[in-house]
Amino acid sequence: MITAEQAHKNIEESLVGFPQEITEAYLTFATKADLACLDKVVIGILQFYLAKAPKVPLAEMPGTTRLREDLGMDSLTMMDTVFMVEGLLSIKLEDQDLVELVTLDNLRRLIRSRFSGLVNTQP
Amino acid sequence: MSQPRVVISGLGFITSIGNSHKCVSESLRFMRSGIESIEFISGVKLPITLAGTVKGFDTHAATWAGWLWPHGYNFSRDSLRTMPPHGLYALCATEQMVADAKLSPAELASDETALFCSSGGSPKLLRQYLNQIIDSNGQRVSPASIVSTIAGTLNFNLSAHYHIRGAVAGFSSACASTTQALGYGFDEIRLGRHKRVIVVGAEEVGLEATYGFHGMRALSRQCDPLQASRPFDKKRDGFVATGGSVALVLEDIETAIKRGAPIYAEVLGWGQAGDGHNPAISDPEGLGLATAMKRALKAAQLEPGLIDYVNAHATSTPAGDASEAKALKSVFTSSGANPKISSTKALTGHGLSMSGVMETAFCALALKEAFMPASANITELDPVCEGLRIIQSTQNIAARYILKNSSGFGGSNVSLVLGKAEF
Repeated sequence: MITAEQAHKNIEESLVGFPQEITEAYLTFATKADLACLDKVVIGILQFYLAKAPKVPLAEMPGTTRLREDLGMDSLTMMDTVFMVEGLLSIKLEDQDLVELVTLDNLRRLIRSRFSGLVNTQP
Repeated sequence: MSQPRVVISGLGFITSIGNSHKCVSESLRFMRSGIESIEFISGVKLPITLAGTVKGFDTHAATWAGWLWPHGYNFSRDSLRTMPPHGLYALCATEQMVADAKLSPAELASDETALFCSSGGSPKLLRQYLNQIIDSNGQRVSPASIVSTIAGTLNFNLSAHYHIRGAVAGFSSACASTTQALGYGFDEIRLGRHKRVIVVGAEEVGLEATYGFHGMRALSRQCDPLQASRPFDKKRDGFVATGGSVALVLEDIETAIKRGAPIYAEVLGWGQAGDGHNPAISDPEGLGLATAMKRALKAAQLEPGLIDYVNAHATSTPAGDASEAKALKSVFTSSGANPKISSTKALTGHGLSMSGVMETAFCALALKEAFMPASANITELDPVCEGLRIIQSTQNIAARYILKNSSGFGGSNVSLVLGKAEF
């Protein structure tokens, strides 16, 4: 897990310009290991990097929403999201993991799986 | 069938001397400098301390998400995410130009609209992406690392943003690039291929984009903004770099008038020629530039004596200014002509690939608003300029014909002739 100190540093260095709810959720996850906040961070980052802002917040969309077909996620959005998530959470995602990402729930599960020691890993 | 007349029908400015038409015009008239101290490396004292800075923007953050720009511009993330910092300047300048020219989205998204751009790319972003690749042992490679950094980044991004379907091209002739773009744009309209050609130049200013010129001893080591950039002065010791962006639209006159666009100036002809001399130094006698000027005058069907004002390329380097002075003498003095001459780089700094379109836009303002901008910061004129009428204060005189010079590395010399638009 990341420490609160690391989280503050990451917020200052990497989350410049991001919505406040993402930074708050990130800090809460770092300090309380709240997996619901982890979801908020990951989905919030994806939403931020989508080329066209969705009409409805991603958090309110069904988990079966498809990343490419429904949200228009392209390679740039994918890599921006992955690099940011890896940096913030100190994890490494493999190329094969990314190939298998199809839906919002896939993304939530993938990131939660890296914190499987924490409770309630199902989104 | 006669060839279309080509006019400048819209301008946009993000420059060291102002971020609007009004502000730039006032800075030129009142000789306000855009040069100030900057730190190329934070906390490190370096021999180069000045630049023509871009005001009202903050692009220090690593990504567009953290950039700040002046109020009044609204850009989607789609348009920003593959942009370098100077692409943001270019977007703002182009938005101004589009509003000024009264161009509709449909007119922009047309196969009759072309886009010609130039920039040095983004060494700042390139460094950032390369560090990311190296630090991650090749694991982190952003898909934006090419389109946001290479020299064509402006044409890639702006053509997509405005859905331009006419010719889209980039020019890479260093400091002659955007003047060359204007020349070829003029030809496109004259040949009836396009109704309008948008020309955009933009540059970053900072360690990565600028400091390499110090290695060539091309940058001024002066610390006083009022002494550093002083083209044609005897004690000049190099140029001061500047960033920003200028956008300009060339258009066939009938289309521009029909739409009610402002007509700033008419483009009458252009010429270009190489030095064939050295990759980085102008021909000492200015032979290539003299040929470019003669060709431009011939294309415009004007004798040298009809030119009222020359906006010189003169960057404030000892060799470059002397070369241009000799070229000017060979074209004008030798034929008994004596136009007023100045270099506006004394106020702005040298905008590299952007300089041609920036200074052509200044000439367009000068023609429309009836003044001639001066060469600032001269305390002792270089004897090489003897016989040339270098103006050191603003002349509130209307020019009828203006010649604009640009020279780039490798001896690319371009001259453009503008005239007061009469219709």
